[in-house]
Amino acid sequence: MARYLIVRLGQALVIVVLVTIITFVILHLLPGGAARATLGKEATLEQLAAFDHEMGYDRPWIQQYVMYVRRLLHGDLGYSFQLNQSVTEAIGQRLPKTMALSLLSTLLAVVAAVPLGVVQATRRNRWPDYTITSLSLLAYATPIFFLGLMMIILFSQVWPILPPEAPQGFTLGEVLADPAGLVLPTVTLAVVTVAVYSRYVRSSMVDNLNENYVRTARSKGLSERRVVVLHTLRNGLFPVITLLGMYLPALFSGALVVESLFNFPGMGQLFWQAALKRDFPILLGVTLIISVATVLGALLADILYAAVDPRVRLRGSAS
Amino acid sequence: MTTPAETTGMSEGTSPGPGDADDTPVRGLWRQGVEVFCENRLALVGLAMFVLLAAVCFLGPLFYHTDQVHTDLAAVHLPPGTDGHPLGTDGVGYDQLGRLMLGGQTSIIVGLAAGILATVVGTVWGAVAGFAGGWVDAAMMRLVDAMMSIPSLFLFMLLAAIVTPSVSMLILIIGAFAWLGPARLVRGEALSLRSREYIQAMRSMGGTGGRAVRRHIIPNAIGTVIVNATFQVADAILYVAYLSFLGLGVPPPAANWGGMLSDGLADTFSGHWWLLYPPGIAIILIVLAFNFIGDGLRDAFEVRLRRR
Amino acid sequence: MSAPIDTAPHDDDVSGDGGEGRPLLRLRHLSTDIALRRGTVHALDDVNLEVRPGETLGIVGESGSGKTMTALSVMGLLPSGGSVVGGQILFEGRDLRSLPPDEVRRIRGVRMGMVFQDPLTSLNPTMRIGTQVAEPLRVHEGVGKAEARERAIEMLRRVGMPRADKIVDDYPHRLSGGMRQRAVIAMALICSPRLLIADEPTTALDVTTQRQILELIDDLREEFGMAVILVTHDLGVIAGRAERVAVMYAGRVVETAPTARLFRSPRHRYTEALMESLPESATRESGARERLYSIPGLPPDLSRPLNGCRFAPRCRFAAPECRTTEVTLSAGEHGYACLHPVTATTAAASVRTVAARPSAPEAASETGSETDSEAILSVRDLVKDYGATTGGLLRRTSGRVSAVAGVSFEVRPGETFGLVGESGCGKSTVGRLAVGLESPTGGRIVLDGTDIATLDRRERRRMRRQVQLMFQDSYAAMNPRMRVDAILAEPLEIQQVGDASARRARVTALLDQVGLSRRVLERYPHEFSGGQLQRLGLARALALRPRLIVGDEPVSALDVSIQAQVLNLMRDLQRELGLAYVFISHDLSVVDYMSDRIGVMYLGKLVEVGPAHDVVRAARHPYTQALIDAVPSADPGLAASRESVTIRGELPSALNPPTGCRFRTRCPIAEGICETEPPLAGDLHQVACHFPLRPESRTAAAPTG
Repeated sequence: MARYLIVRLGQALVIVVLVTIITFVILHLLPGGAARATLGKEATLEQLAAFDHEMGYDRPWIQQYVMYVRRLLHGDLGYSFQLNQSVTEAIGQRLPKTMALSLLSTLLAVVAAVPLGVVQATRRNRWPDYTITSLSLLAYATPIFFLGLMMIILFSQVWPILPPEAPQGFTLGEVLADPAGLVLPTVTLAVVTVAVYSRYVRSSMVDNLNENYVRTARSKGLSERRVVVLHTLRNGLFPVITLLGMYLPALFSGALVVESLFNFPGMGQLFWQAALKRDFPILLGVTLIISVATVLGALLADILYAAVDPRVRLRGSAS
Repeated sequence: MTTPAETTGMSEGTSPGPGDADDTPVRGLWRQGVEVFCENRLALVGLAMFVLLAAVCFLGPLFYHTDQVHTDLAAVHLPPGTDGHPLGTDGVGYDQLGRLMLGGQTSIIVGLAAGILATVVGTVWGAVAGFAGGWVDAAMMRLVDAMMSIPSLFLFMLLAAIVTPSVSMLILIIGAFAWLGPARLVRGEALSLRSREYIQAMRSMGGTGGRAVRRHIIPNAIGTVIVNATFQVADAILYVAYLSFLGLGVPPPAANWGGMLSDGLADTFSGHWWLLYPPGIAIILIVLAFNFIGDGLRDAFEVRLRRR
Repeated sequence: MSAPIDTAPHDDDVSGDGGEGRPLLRLRHLSTDIALRRGTVHALDDVNLEVRPGETLGIVGESGSGKTMTALSVMGLLPSGGSVVGGQILFEGRDLRSLPPDEVRRIRGVRMGMVFQDPLTSLNPTMRIGTQVAEPLRVHEGVGKAEARERAIEMLRRVGMPRADKIVDDYPHRLSGGMRQRAVIAMALICSPRLLIADEPTTALDVTTQRQILELIDDLREEFGMAVILVTHDLGVIAGRAERVAVMYAGRVVETAPTARLFRSPRHRYTEALMESLPESATRESGARERLYSIPGLPPDLSRPLNGCRFAPRCRFAAPECRTTEVTLSAGEHGYACLHPVTATTAAASVRTVAARPSAPEAASETGSETDSEAILSVRDLVKDYGATTGGLLRRTSGRVSAVAGVSFEVRPGETFGLVGESGCGKSTVGRLAVGLESPTGGRIVLDGTDIATLDRRERRRMRRQVQLMFQDSYAAMNPRMRVDAILAEPLEIQQVGDASARRARVTALLDQVGLSRRVLERYPHEFSGGQLQRLGLARALALRPRLIVGDEPVSALDVSIQAQVLNLMRDLQRELGLAYVFISHDLSVVDYMSDRIGVMYLGKLVEVGPAHDVVRAARHPYTQALIDAVPSADPGLAASRESVTIRGELPSALNPPTGCRFRTRCPIAEGICETEPPLAGDLHQVACHFPLRPESRTAAAPTG
């Protein structure tokens, strides 16, 4: 397992380096160059030249990239003149909130999707299966902001029990202090996730229920409940752990839309407003951080998988 | 009784006997595939939904003429049914039904074009990586991994902020970054097909790699690629909607369902429901349609491999 | 002169003979259906059987005969869509079908145990062995955790699991197939059941492991005093182990009798035909091989309504009434459902005439060994190593797997060279090297006098025509999206033989040669049965008119009766076309039947080469002898009387093979000198052993003694 972890870590590192190259390239493809994109339309030619010199943008590409990476390593993601704030600071304020939203809705999604998928697999091709499958497909086909709006209409207009807007706290603690406001954004983000996860759990469980070891378990006279819960569920859920990692990019994309819709003060909203204002330092900084978060999340999921599945955990260490 | 007479007539060992293959009628794979597709009711529903929506959007304007270029501030927010506007008008006086047709054209064209573009690019990339193997493969796939770890909507937004979106630009942006999924899929497929025994059989006859690709790998991989393409189209339509919602879609007077829907959001609380639900439902229907078609196609392609 | 059998229905006294107390299990008129998307398969139809306490009942039949469905019906483990639709399952006098589900579950868990075919997939991969073995105790007897673990260790010891106290906390993926099967047996026996159902318990295992497992089941049966139902397709397995046998065909029991009696004088025409299809039945002591009897056609489609005797359409003795009259199992100790059964006189006459008539003189083998013509294939010191990778993620080679380690042999035109050995011995790799699918790490392959290594790519490609490969699974070896005409024409296209019309003509000629109708040209591979697919595979291999065909387990996936069809066809074509075969198989009796000479492989090395008759009947290498002794014989007398060399333990890893003689770690007679490698020595019957079991017999070595 140690070797597996080292290899997986190396891969993650390579991907992060590639991501920095991608953001670096985009930075230099910006209209008018990196300086114009950073300083805005009003900057004078002298200001631009001074900025280029200060950032080393007048040097050869390789050197520029090395400097870029060195700045990143020092936590310097650039400066947003539009927010009058360093990018690192702007992201630092919002990252925890986005992570909290993503984590909460993932938790909610897993808690909902596992029983749904299991019910579907054990009642395969009967009405519970068909019903849940149809609903998942419907959830998947609905644009997430339309879904969120339906929620707002239902739960804060027709039946006003929840606020239509996310909590506006500055810190994570302030946001979490208003759980009612968190409900709609979290649930909206979770619904699509549930649709994807439950389909996955279903097919994984169906595959496992057809395995020979399940027949062996039944031959021991175990109750159906024990067969499903004790024998099949564990094996059926292992692949879902990997899905948690693989699904992160889609989850963050969803968070971008949800944050914009509910005015949730997270990274997605920051990114959205930056996009409308063409605030490129923020755009690139967020892109980089969200990608690194994705890579780390996937890495974490794989490590978790390796830790719980004995087939991976015990590989190589022969008895 | 126990006369061995019947044994003489039977050239035992070489007679094929009443084999399965002899008494059923000959049917081509395409026909079998079509039959299976047609057995899947949802797939037929999906196909019908797509044909209907496309017909309304592309043929509808030939019979139902509306002005979608000039605003008419005298006729804003007319409710459905008011003179000549069966679905009412929007905030600048465009006829909502006519606008739905126009928007549908954009959504369908962008979805199809971006989906196909992504599929083509991804297929080529994945196939090259899969066949080259070794370092080329590793480098190409690490790049895919890296790009995949950037959430796509962030990437689309970033690009849309750099260039001014138009219909063709949207197709390019989405198509140029949605190919990662197909690339992975095709590479995996190429790797698994390459090790199949029928490829080995062909090689043992002296066949070349080119023949393996032409005669064996492409025909067997094409199903997976086509099925995936339908899902790509569905995703592309959703992406267009998201970009529009986030304010980076096609600018007016061009329209698309996503843009109309996000415009409608603003009207939610003023009671103009006809601006919200029709485009929303249209998007759901078209995305569902492509998902149903994809599922049906998957069955249809799989049946060819089904062994008795 | 038909036997005076009573065809009246025996609804109520099927077990009327009784006498030995109440049967433990009695199936009465059991019918089971499997509902599929396209119609219902009547997998079992009116099955009547009984098992007495402490006895072993063998259920034998080909695939689709319902033998496994019978076992699963008893256990209540039918696949989805399957259900028992009629009859009774009387276990200890109570009908399981009428008991409440919880009660049945308890009976299944405590009073019965089951062992399955594939030990690799039969255990939960993420649960500790001990937990799985002890689970029935915990669930049904409420035994505490610590005690359950102790009893699991105890039971693992009793099934011969080495280091049971360690294995108990291990996971299944770390055990070999044989060890996993022991764990499954331990699990089945943990509650001391009255009945053990073993469904093809050794089919997925090598013969030497098979023997160990079968002996284990036998021993445990006596120890526990339980009854055993042994379900298998292998008449040999039954012959050595069962007291009584039930033969099944197309969802029915067609004959049941005490084992010795059934094998001595089968009455049902199907049983008779099945035994005549066995390769060993046509291999004479003298070394001559008669033509196999092969049952024509295929078993009936059980989703259609069937009338009369289900074997009638394939039976050479069927009369018109056979197709219309329903026949039930006759009463008595030896029951059979046949209107025109075998009688002492008809058996002698008809069987012999059928078997003798087509058995043409063994032209092929004689020309093969007489003419000292140049070898078509000559392999010298062939070596193939694979780099072993760990984990697959990091492409770092952690060692070399020595798959083939210095193998030399020759194949002469028109001859069949058999290559036999257990899985992992490298026999398939030798075949793949011979046809050029892989390139050797070392050594020479000389084809028709030309060293392959000296050829450039073009020439090598042309050379491929001379040698063609026939696969075990022809379905996997054919592009599922290509029609038969394209599949058969492909070799011709690749080698640019003839124009389109010439190729078409060749393809139809090939179909004629392998006995398939020309109507199949427009069909796809999935529309064919296993035997037909092997015919197609052979046809494709023949397309380029090769002089040598390498068959890699070409009949291993087939039922006995279908296997006989394909073997006959291969021998016919050999005679007609003067083909040479390299026949690779794990099945010694098939190799013995097919081959002129046999090479025995163990862990990448050829340990013995010689004339087939000598190798099988006068083995010189202890491994060969152990292999021969492990093969179950379909002759109960022989099975009981045989003296034997038994090998214990597990096959060593090819990653770090033993030095010197690779068999020495398991050899009963190994000594210190075996650490040096013995050369392959001898004239015609060569052996690589420091202590050959017997000297080379000069007389037997000569062809046609």
